[in-house]
Amino acid sequence: MGKTLTVDSTSRCDVLIIGAGGAGLRAAAQIGEQRPGTSIIALTKVFSPQKSHTTTAQGGMAAVDPKDPVDRAIFHMFDTWKGSDCSADQNVIKKLCAIGWEEVVWLERHGMHFSRTEEGRIAKRPFGGHMLDFGETLAFRACYEADRTGKGIMDTVWAESLKYGVNFIGQCIATELLCKDGHCIGAIIFRYPEGKFFAILAKATIIATGGKTRMYLVSSNCRGNTGDGLALALNTGLPVMDLEAVQFHPTGMVGPGILASEALRGEGAILRNKDEEPFMERYAPTAKDLAPRDLISRAIIQEIREGRGLFHEGHNAHHVWLDLRHLPKEVHEKKIQEVCSFFKRFVGVDPEKDLCPVTPTAHYQMGGIPTNEFGEVQGDTHGIVPGLFACGEVAAASLHGLNRLGTNSLLELITMGRVTGEGVVEYLKDAKDPDGLPPDAGHIIFDQFSTYLHAQGKEKYAEIRDTLRNLMMEKVGIFRSEKSLLEAVDDLGELKERATHIPPGTTCMRTNQDLWQIWELNNLITVSMVIAQGALARKESRGAHFREDYPKRSDEFNYHTLVYMPKFNTVTFDKRPIDMSIFEAKGDHYELFDYIQREY
Amino acid sequence: MSISHTITLEINRYDPDTELSWIHTYQVEASGILRFVDVLRKINDEQDPTLAWPSSCEHAQCGSCGIIVNGKPLLACELLVKDAVEQFNTHTFKLKPLTIAPVLRDLVVDLEKAYDRVHKAKPYLIKPAPPHRDGDEYRISPKTLEIYSEATRCINCFCCATACISSHHHFLGPNTTMANMVRLMDPRERARKERMDILYREDGVYRCHTARACSFVCPKDIDVSHFLALGKEGKF
Ligand SMILES: Cc1cc2nc3c(=O)[nH]c(=O)nc-3n(C[C@H](O)[C@H](O)[C@H](O)COP(=O)(O)OP(=O)(O)OC[C@H]3O[C@@H](n4cnc5c(N)ncnc54)[C@H](O)[C@@H]3O)c2cc1C
Ligand code: SF4
Ligand code: SF4
Ligand code: FES
Repeated sequence: MGKTLTVDSTSRCDVLIIGAGGAGLRAAAQIGEQRPGTSIIALTKVFSPQKSHTTTAQGGMAAVDPKDPVDRAIFHMFDTWKGSDCSADQNVIKKLCAIGWEEVVWLERHGMHFSRTEEGRIAKRPFGGHMLDFGETLAFRACYEADRTGKGIMDTVWAESLKYGVNFIGQCIATELLCKDGHCIGAIIFRYPEGKFFAILAKATIIATGGKTRMYLVSSNCRGNTGDGLALALNTGLPVMDLEAVQFHPTGMVGPGILASEALRGEGAILRNKDEEPFMERYAPTAKDLAPRDLISRAIIQEIREGRGLFHEGHNAHHVWLDLRHLPKEVHEKKIQEVCSFFKRFVGVDPEKDLCPVTPTAHYQMGGIPTNEFGEVQGDTHGIVPGLFACGEVAAASLHGLNRLGTNSLLELITMGRVTGEGVVEYLKDAKDPDGLPPDAGHIIFDQFSTYLHAQGKEKYAEIRDTLRNLMMEKVGIFRSEKSLLEAVDDLGELKERATHIPPGTTCMRTNQDLWQIWELNNLITVSMVIAQGALARKESRGAHFREDYPKRSDEFNYHTLVYMPKFNTVTFDKRPIDMSIFEAKGDHYELFDYIQREY
Repeated sequence: MSISHTITLEINRYDPDTELSWIHTYQVEASGILRFVDVLRKINDEQDPTLAWPSSCEHAQCGSCGIIVNGKPLLACELLVKDAVEQFNTHTFKLKPLTIAPVLRDLVVDLEKAYDRVHKAKPYLIKPAPPHRDGDEYRISPKTLEIYSEATRCINCFCCATACISSHHHFLGPNTTMANMVRLMDPRERARKERMDILYREDGVYRCHTARACSFVCPKDIDVSHFLALGKEGKF
């Protein structure tokens, strides 16, 4: 007992990247290419950046090839705007849709193994919500590498960063941002193997910690997707944006919620209820099984609620069927090989012969740390935080608004990763080396870790984790109401208090999994509170956020939610206007970029 | 389907603070459809929060969770209890850390160090071929791609390297050698000489004795030794 926590040593670099996933390392590669010799440190919780969660993305990356005979960037912009339920920022939509193809070519030239057409060109498949001619027919727009597109991307940006001598530090967590005179000057990290804290001073810092939906019982996210990046920002007094928008992917494998990619439906798979009826025809007559995810997830829950679902004894869970039996053998073996093997291994069904049990799984959070279109982090409604950037799933620029289309996330990672890299190079021109550590460096994290290390009481980590995951699923899940959200806010307050009474299994610091998991649990509770509060305040339904008591979208809420929570449950709300620049430019088809109805 | 099993896990423990090693035996009541990572989590939850074990994606796609179960290196996240009982024909399982890097604690080994080997294979394109005349992507026919695309599925879990006797003695190891082979077979790579130097260096492909343990254990069903054989024969 009574351990004094200190910073063991301090190192310096030009750029610190917190989160060496797809977005973080695309930024690293950009900086390496554009400004050789820049010293870059990239952090990850896992053993190697290659193991970051981007590697599990399956289906594809959306991009319109300017030479495509039928597809056009404007269709992609429209789909993204409509898909977002009119809440994405149009300056960002325009910018990222325009450079998507360049980035696909960048990845290919740097060694990614995209699937090919007979002519040897990059192959493309349809995906939910991506259409030609402003919503008429399905577009072939998702560039893919079989059903391991994310792995192809991750391998490429990881290898490219390696080429540029990026210094990877694995098995660590960034635990506190360092700030001086309103500038971000680096972070304090905790390395698992040594059990020690280190400070890293940097001219520029990029937060790219990725996804954050482990607070839900059923989730497609990895063990480490615990909202650390958001907690870092909140603890520093920075706002977060639109966290209430959580995407449930309609087809998680029953049980742990492992993803069964939309690519399956892109290849022709069909959802069926217990009578084997292809029920999506009733909910979305045009787009059917390739309607946007929020719509399908709600349809599945509706089917289950009305008694047309099924029940899986083994996993104790309700589900519907995904039917892949009619797809050609060639498709099973070449295009969706990994996902089919997941069904065989984890669920014990053979998709070539059996119906596959699926249920909605928490998958993606549209909101995040608010940035402008250059990846610079927004400090308050007006200014940016010099030296601090964010990109990837942890950030919101916002390409997705309150709902994201499939394959638009990989697009965002790579395009915003590059743009952020470019922004950092620009920033480095006049940036000075930080003088030294701020006098109070470490106060936030030492406080937190001391509490965990000295905690006494009878609370159990597992109990609190499971209570959290159940309550978020039930009360802050696919369907929400004022009643369920108010309950959730109360429950979360109680959980936060209980979490301070979990005695650690051991206080020995090296590879103390128990210790960092308690820290992660606290981050999850923090982020959950912001989700619940945001959902409570947004008295409408829009995109992935659905209120049973306010089932319609309302113009009153045509803005992004900003929430500050420097102390747990001391929340302040603010608003950020939605960028309407495509509409306001009054160019061709501008009227489609108004607050239009969203039907599929 | 949901039959429950009473299984015994004998787990190699190591405490980095005291540098003591021992074997801890846990009895667990587990549903057949739980994965071994779920069982390990259950031990943390119900019996012993100090037991450390690695994982990340928990669906066989990141290669973080390699451990040795009854002598076989495998991914703890894709081994279901019922399959383990059937495959090993027992209810008692000996769990050990991979032998490819130093143990940090219990079942966690320092894969970060093991990755130093992979880095030596330079997994990027060292010298990319000039762009296509249209200025966009290279043209690669599906047939060409098919020759090496299996090898690109490797997740660097190091199960093969653990199983390979040679890789413990001055051999870069199966996965690293295969990573180099991928780029030798990739029509976009122009640095062939440098690639061949990596392939045939002192700790290169000739250290492999074609015992095929690698192909046998690979959780992604990649025929690793096939790619190594192509390397030895110079077929790329
Ligand atoms: C199963 C699955 C399938 C998907 N399929 C698709 C698809 O087909 N198309 C599509 O567009 N999108 C898809 N997505 C979404 C997309 O893959 C993710 O949004 C994206 O990969 C996130 O990338 P990232 O770079 O932001 O984060 P990640 O790749 O998750 O990287 C985050 C990095 O930050 C590190 N990190 C986290 N916290 C800390 C900390 N405190 N300190 C230090 N490091 C930290 C992590 O270890 C990791 O290295 C899918 C998502 C999932 C889960
Ligand atoms: S070849 Fe197979 S066993 Fe070896 S590291 Fe790759 S995936 Fe693992
Ligand atoms: S075939 Fe070669 S690489 Fe594979 S296990 Fe045997 S010696 Fe090792
Ligand atoms: S945890 Fe990712 S492969 Fe097992």
